[in-house]
Amino acid sequence: MVERSDGEEQGGPGEQRSSPAHPPFGKKQLPSIPKNAVPITKAASPASSTESANGTHASYGPFYLEYSLLAEFTLVIKQRLPGIYVQPSYRSTLMWFGVIFIRHGLYQDGVFKFTVYIPDNFPDGDCPRVIFDTPVFHPLVDSVSGELDVRRAFTKWRRNHNHIWQVLMYARTIFYKINTMDPLNPEAVVLYDKDFQLFKSKVVDSVKLCNSHLFDQPKIDDPFAISFSPWNPAVHEEAKDKMFAYKRLHSDPLLTAPHNQRWAEDYNKGPLVSGLSWVKPGSTQPFSKEDIPLQT
Amino acid sequence: MEVMSWLSRLNPRGPGTRTGRHAAPTSPCTADPETCLMVFENHWRQVSRVLKQRESSVGGYADDLTAVRNHTDQMLCLLAEERPAGGDIDSPVGPILKMVVAENILDELVQWHVRRGLDPDSQLELLKLFEMLIGQSHQPLLLHSAVLQPLLNLLGACVDPQLGSPPALESSLVLLLNQVCVCMAKETAVLELIFRCGLVQQGPTNLLIFSLLVPFIHRDGSLGQQARDALLLVMATSASNHSVARHIAENSYFCPVLATGLSALYSSLPRKIEVRGDDWHALRREDWMAVSSLVLFMNSLEFCNAVVQVAHPLVRCQLLDYLHNGFLVPVMGPALHKSSVDEMIASTAYLDLFLRSITETSLLKTFLRFILLHRHDNDTILDTLLTRISSNSRLCMVSLSLFKTLLSLNCEDLMLQLVLRYLLPCTHVMLSQRRAVRETDLYGKSADKFLSLIPECCRITPAPSSERDDEPAFWGKGKPVSDTFMDNSPTSESPVHPRPSTPSRLALFIRQQSSGGQAIPPSSGSENAPSSPRGSVSSPLSPDSPVHQLPDTSEGETGYLEYLRDARKGIELCSWACRDWSAPYDGENPSPNSAPPPPPPPTSHPSLNMVQEHFSIMDRPQQRGCLESESQRLSPVPALTETSTVPCDSRGPESVERLIEELLERAPSEPLTGDSKCQGISIEAFHQELRELEERVRERRVLSRSSEESSREYRTAPTPSLTDEDCLPVEIEQRSSETKPESYATGVFSPARPLGPPLAQPYTGPFITVLFSKLESMMQNSLYVNILLTGVVFQLACYPQPLLRSFLLNTNMVFQPSVKSLIQVLGSVKNRIEAFAATHEDFPAMLRKARRFLVARGKLDWSDSPIGVPTLRRSDSLIKSRKPSLGDLILRHTNSPTRARHAAQLALAHVRDGGQSLHSALFRGGAAGGASGLEKQAEALRVKNAVYCAVIFSEFLKELAALAQEHSVALPFPPSQGAEE
Repeated sequence: MVERSDGEEQGGPGEQRSSPAHPPFGKKQLPSIPKNAVPITKAASPASSTESANGTHASYGPFYLEYSLLAEFTLVIKQRLPGIYVQPSYRSTLMWFGVIFIRHGLYQDGVFKFTVYIPDNFPDGDCPRVIFDTPVFHPLVDSVSGELDVRRAFTKWRRNHNHIWQVLMYARTIFYKINTMDPLNPEAVVLYDKDFQLFKSKVVDSVKLCNSHLFDQPKIDDPFAISFSPWNPAVHEEAKDKMFAYKRLHSDPLLTAPHNQRWAEDYNKGPLVSGLSWVKPGSTQPFSKEDIPLQT
Repeated sequence: MEVMSWLSRLNPRGPGTRTGRHAAPTSPCTADPETCLMVFENHWRQVSRVLKQRESSVGGYADDLTAVRNHTDQMLCLLAEERPAGGDIDSPVGPILKMVVAENILDELVQWHVRRGLDPDSQLELLKLFEMLIGQSHQPLLLHSAVLQPLLNLLGACVDPQLGSPPALESSLVLLLNQVCVCMAKETAVLELIFRCGLVQQGPTNLLIFSLLVPFIHRDGSLGQQARDALLLVMATSASNHSVARHIAENSYFCPVLATGLSALYSSLPRKIEVRGDDWHALRREDWMAVSSLVLFMNSLEFCNAVVQVAHPLVRCQLLDYLHNGFLVPVMGPALHKSSVDEMIASTAYLDLFLRSITETSLLKTFLRFILLHRHDNDTILDTLLTRISSNSRLCMVSLSLFKTLLSLNCEDLMLQLVLRYLLPCTHVMLSQRRAVRETDLYGKSADKFLSLIPECCRITPAPSSERDDEPAFWGKGKPVSDTFMDNSPTSESPVHPRPSTPSRLALFIRQQSSGGQAIPPSSGSENAPSSPRGSVSSPLSPDSPVHQLPDTSEGETGYLEYLRDARKGIELCSWACRDWSAPYDGENPSPNSAPPPPPPPTSHPSLNMVQEHFSIMDRPQQRGCLESESQRLSPVPALTETSTVPCDSRGPESVERLIEELLERAPSEPLTGDSKCQGISIEAFHQELRELEERVRERRVLSRSSEESSREYRTAPTPSLTDEDCLPVEIEQRSSETKPESYATGVFSPARPLGPPLAQPYTGPFITVLFSKLESMMQNSLYVNILLTGVVFQLACYPQPLLRSFLLNTNMVFQPSVKSLIQVLGSVKNRIEAFAATHEDFPAMLRKARRFLVARGKLDWSDSPIGVPTLRRSDSLIKSRKPSLGDLILRHTNSPTRARHAAQLALAHVRDGGQSLHSALFRGGAAGGASGLEKQAEALRVKNAVYCAVIFSEFLKELAALAQEHSVALPFPPSQGAEE
């Protein structure tokens, strides 16, 4: 990818730019279909072009990309990365919004918002890019664009081996384990090596700066962009209580996942028989479980 | 007479109608309590005079009786209308009741009646009086033994507990008992009191109220219903009373009567189900509502279900035991093993209906335990039921339907026995592949593979004349779909939508479909879109996403999107229901090494002996067709019979006789399976069939001799493997690492070949085997069989357990050479369809017509209320979850109420009847009469099945592709709280 990331952040969503073969994200997204337009089913999108060479079922190509990304996202959820939250954009599944909470170390208390850009020939293209909303002062983060040097960890993106959650994990790791090789931000490295105290204070400043922009409107206008708002008990208290209540009961964050809650709501009401099982754990014999203590 | 009219108004009308009676202007009752008491005392004085006068005399005079009755009526009416005393909190008893208790008035009255001998007329009136009293009283009368005791005495006098009650009294008696039970439910103390009174009076063996009701358990009509309601109230009330429960369990006949009553009712069910449509495969509510014996049975079964739900654990356990040992084992078991096809069909359909009707988990468990563990003639019920899927007749459809029900239970024990235990050892995959069991299809490779199997010849548009594009798939075509897209586009998104709406998936489709040409900037997307994302992290994947809110397209075409939605729903439902399973079944837990070896493939299917070939009209004609050799080789079913009839041949000619008898019996009356019905049965054809049948049985006897020597050892499942390696001479088989392509031309079935691969041969179990073999013969299956069959496989593929999922849907897995994979099976079907299409130049036209007919047929029911398959109280949603793929659009017809069915049949009448079978309207070449006509018909039938198969097959592949994709994005559900504790 050669495009500069800041370019797309400035462009409004309605702006149509003449772009090279691979236009930056945010540009080609979301043309709403006029009411009577017949969808073009011979999908000419770049996503399917990789698939379409061989057969007629290539028209399912869009589904493959979409599902690949959804599958990646599912993996992220399953990984339960500490302190990392991501959310695909409303406009494109190729763009994910994220935020990292740093809980200790040099960057403690840092809350860094970032955007992940996934190439549209995923998983066969380059590695995804990670761009911090506010350029964090860090050897591996470009001080102007805010782009994280992802490629050093993923020289060649290998489908089936590399996953987006690894990129996110990497984006978190850099704040705990500083690597000064081949920096994107040479100044940071110099300070890190020569004047660690100054480096530290710069980091503190940077963290402060980032956090001071926390409540800013999201840089990219998208309904699913992550936005922060000051604590407002009327709005947040209930949600927080709910989360903590769940958490006390279960350590499993999947329980709080919306899909689970929705199902719990829908199906715990009815008499639907769910999860019939009389198999004793560890056994593979049917009806091996002792009778459940009878309920009254 | 005044009194009589009063009484007649009391005639039992059921509890529901009597509420209004309180307002009835009964003369003195509305007066103040003191006046009432005075009136009451007055009546009582007169009555007691009579009672005392005639104390010594026996019999008494009619005058006396009339007088006593009159006064009693008035008194009890006053008592009933009396309100509890307001002031006194400790004993809020009204003055009349106080007096009744103090002077034991009711007891004296009843004693008097009993002494002078109760004639039926008096009995009836007393019962009614008490019923009125208890039903309408404003005070908890039964809490006073001065009321309860005389009531029990009266009951004891009316009814001989051994002989039951006189028929004339039945309705009043049951109504009274019902009222008592209602009171009991309101005042639980009453139960205790009754119980104690019973102990004093009748000895420890009698809870009179209860035992009087038991004989009415299985009664039909409102009487039975009242009795069951009353009993249920007793059950519910006694649920927390251990001693009463023990009494019921130990000293009453309640449970045995209930269970054995079911047996009796079952035996009166029709042995043969009169089938109307060729697509009939399950008993729906409107099917059985018309059959009184079945209604009766279902009422009692429902009652059992209710008792299990409310009763004390002691009672419940006892009832379940009795149901297992007194109904399922002695009655259901043999019924399912009846030798006539009709009876098998009926009993299978009954079992299916029962399973769908039960809502109580423990009752379901009893049934499942019976199905899974009980052995009848050495085979478990499950095994027996399994084998029937391979039959040709309607039995196959009914069996498939039963398995659909079973699969929808999401029961671990069942799935373990059915499939998982065979996959647990992981011997079906190459050692190096074991880790891949857990992998999901991240990049849609498997989906791609499935879609690539859609035969080239099926990639035609429904209406090529009007459209130029060679869009292969159904999805994304036409206006409705685009409208659908629009509805979910950000533009129409309501900004005040309460939930975070997540149209990202759809947005992508829109984008990608339009990005070719137009690049229209979002006009309003940004302004109307929700201002802040309120969803939490995973909401974009949440199934709330608009894909789930797609309105159903009005066009019959179904889109891939809908398949995705179906798949997602199916998977979610299934993983939700499986969340409390004991293990993930992911190839590591349970450990492949600890798993006990699954049972080996059966050596024969004794239960199949007679079933197989009764109606092989569908199969045989093919042998005469142009693909003769192929179809013979390809249709595994006859082959299966060939091997499996071995044991029965020892019976020699008699079995032939029996077969013929059975056939003759059936032939005139029974509508055959769909397809054979279409062609009608000529006597000639029938004779021919008989001749062939005889011939074959004879042949087999000869063959069996030779094979019997070499058999008696173990062999692979005969069914599916017949297509390739298995059919080859054994030398080839031994080089099993060499994968055999589908070489149908080679290899002749040799019954004498040495049987059985070595023991270690991986075996994926009889269920997979029979399903795959049926899939392999898709071309020969009737349309309805294929619809049901693909539905069952779909449901199976919804299961999230990696072992099962990877086996069915991971097309990249490398299996052991002897293990047949789904993709292999489908590949062979694809080849056959293509071979068929190549030999029929009008195939595209036929395909289009078939499609159009299917869509039209589905549409007829499209508007119908989604009542779903036979009314399921529990799993409505389960069943509905398998929703319209094209297959279901078609099937919907079969699920819909009779009205729709008729409409559909009417609509298709012109193609079905009048000497024109469906195919002849569809496809060129009419059916001529005579012997040559028969052959033509057979050929036409074969063509018809093949063309329909091509349609279903293509849609099925899309379903599977959608499942593969959805599995890769599915999130697991954590176990529910209950399971953790």
